[in-house]
Amino acid sequence: MSKKKHWIWSLILLFSIATGCSGGNAPQSGSDGDKPSDTPPAQDAVTLDFWYGWTGPEAEALERLIAKWNSANPDIQVKGLSQSDYQKQLTAITGGNPPDIASQFGQNVVPWGLRGAMMPLDDYITKDGLDLKDFVPAALSTSQHEGKTYAIPTAMHVSMLFYNKDILQEAGYDGPPETISELKEYIKKLSIVEDGGRLQRLGLWPGMDAYTFSYAFNGSFYDEATQQVTPDHPGIQSAIKLSKEIWDQYSSDNLDRFSSGLGQYMSAQNPFFSGKYAMTIDGEWLPTFIKQYAPDLNYGIAPIPYDENNPEFKNSGNVTTSVFYIPKGVKNPEASWKFIKWMTEPEQMAEFTAALGNLPTRNSAFSNPLYEDVPGFKEFLDYSGSENLKSFPASSYANEYMTEFSAQYDAILRGTVSMEEGLDKVKAKIQPLVK
Amino acid sequence: MKVTTAANQRKRVSGWSRKERHYVFLGLAFASPWIIGFLAFTVYPFFGSLYLSLTEYDLFSPPKWVGLQNYKLIFADDRFYKSLGNTFFMAFISVPITLAVSLLIAMMLNFKVKGINYYRTIFYLPSVIPIVASALLWTWMLNPDFGLVNMALRTLGLTDPAWLLDPRYTKPSLILMSLWGSGAGALIFLAALQGVPRQYYEAAQVDGANWWYRFWKITVPALSPIILFQLIMGLIGAFQIFTESYILAGGKVDGSGSLGGPEQSLLFYAVNLYQEAFVFLKMGYASALAWILFIIVLLITFILLKTSGRWVYYGGD
Repeated sequence: MSKKKHWIWSLILLFSIATGCSGGNAPQSGSDGDKPSDTPPAQDAVTLDFWYGWTGPEAEALERLIAKWNSANPDIQVKGLSQSDYQKQLTAITGGNPPDIASQFGQNVVPWGLRGAMMPLDDYITKDGLDLKDFVPAALSTSQHEGKTYAIPTAMHVSMLFYNKDILQEAGYDGPPETISELKEYIKKLSIVEDGGRLQRLGLWPGMDAYTFSYAFNGSFYDEATQQVTPDHPGIQSAIKLSKEIWDQYSSDNLDRFSSGLGQYMSAQNPFFSGKYAMTIDGEWLPTFIKQYAPDLNYGIAPIPYDENNPEFKNSGNVTTSVFYIPKGVKNPEASWKFIKWMTEPEQMAEFTAALGNLPTRNSAFSNPLYEDVPGFKEFLDYSGSENLKSFPASSYANEYMTEFSAQYDAILRGTVSMEEGLDKVKAKIQPLVK
Repeated sequence: MKVTTAANQRKRVSGWSRKERHYVFLGLAFASPWIIGFLAFTVYPFFGSLYLSLTEYDLFSPPKWVGLQNYKLIFADDRFYKSLGNTFFMAFISVPITLAVSLLIAMMLNFKVKGINYYRTIFYLPSVIPIVASALLWTWMLNPDFGLVNMALRTLGLTDPAWLLDPRYTKPSLILMSLWGSGAGALIFLAALQGVPRQYYEAAQVDGANWWYRFWKITVPALSPIILFQLIMGLIGAFQIFTESYILAGGKVDGSGSLGGPEQSLLFYAVNLYQEAFVFLKMGYASALAWILFIIVLLITFILLKTSGRWVYYGGD
């Protein structure tokens, strides 16, 4: 063989590799077109890729809705993909090849939106006259920042107090605790501690959701007027003091030992299902799990206990959401919006959230008869109307704030830092991020 | 052996014949997938991250030049020191222990007993199990109430800690886990052990050297290059420890949970870096973290290699 031939071969090799590497940049629609689908899309039909984080039965519920959309809209075909690795969305958007529609956790909306990864939807909302007033304010606020809306919340979560009726009755209570001081008393009475401190049963796990209880004490994490983060707000301090007081009754050692012996959350061994916790603070999905894993559990759902000195903050709660958004760089945002708008219409929203046992975010969806079959929904439905539901202030640094706060909360409960010191640390770390 | 061939090549580079040049090009052509991959996926990102470490970059908008600000912030960050401390603990306590144990296993597996091949397989087996699976398995083993480890400790009348939840015990838990996987290191030691000439032992025995003396004067020096290799690889691995902590400390996808376990006792360098990059979207900051890690690992490796001359013996030197 001549030298020339060698060179040609190496060039061919080089080129095939080079083009192979850049294959990732080729438009995805090209490869989509190759696959035969059941219903041939109409001419000039657009195909939208829709990445969502749900899996299993929850994904099936979503796929049913997608199928419904596809049969009604031959010109805009949606292809769903269960993609619970949310990091992939980041890489896809930065790589310039994003899905046309995607789901996210509410707390990521503003961090992503402000950085330009999510398209602001305000123009579409005004154009289509979408009534934002129909949305639960705390839920909507997770998607908004300084007047811009970056996503539409499709489901929301809020926590309430679950209690084991049998255990409470044994202890001589005929109803759940209503105030914070009653809560403390209940916890003491319902916990069973062996000699030597080993725990048999806890009234309520003391490392409870500090956000929910902060709102019960009228706590606030951000002061709009002075543009200061306020992890040391007196309301938050009261909530931490409450947890710490309960925690110290049992000691970290015993609590660690007890909690590491507890069963998996999504199983019949869930400590609340198995009677290891007499009460628990949990979300609206729990009744659906109870029905599945512990159908015989005799339980009740009650509002979060309120501070008797601040009765006006009764029915407090911390709202988190799941949202749909349009990533930056999509080719056909108009079509993506049409689909999102349809998905978040009261009817579709009800169908989806009822299947998941989640709460809808639109007031007009609440009355849908579909929810009648959802266990425990009525209590949560009523609770959703409470004016004292709040959500963590949406900001570009919300994730850092929550991470730092929960790290310090843990350290405060364990007594490695004092409360003042811990909260000062949060403030010192987060305040510089406020722009 | 390697040394001589490399030297030979170097000598002849200047005087390539036509035919030789042919084969070099052909060889390069065949190696080109790797070369291109190396340039595109290693060299380019390497210098890319150096540039990014001097910028503020959130993935979505173009990087903004900030000079050394990221580095300044890092050195003022509690989490940096916490994660560095945790990582050093794993590197300087876990790695030597694991090395010693795998050498011990290798020596046991070097005995000529019946069915030794089965023992060798059994010790190696944990190494083929993915880290995620073994981490999940160990959450069961380390369960304070009905886990195997505490059951054994209780039988012996010892304390039975809450392994994965008590900040004092979380890192020892990981060391325990890494011991379980020390079969891979043992296998390398075993291969080296079998390369130690028997005559040395026989001669020493004739001279009346006891087992301990033979171990220190023959086995360890003979294995020292392998020990150095395993030490460096182990340290590099320890500096990048991630998965175990992510699984055991309950990593949550939504970012709200605090990675790193109770009192951040499992917040390792790589875990912190991951969180800064992919949860907080601070790519510039994370790149700076990565470069600091790179320099630390480079320094440690350099020191080890420099000082190794005193204790590593290469055959024939």
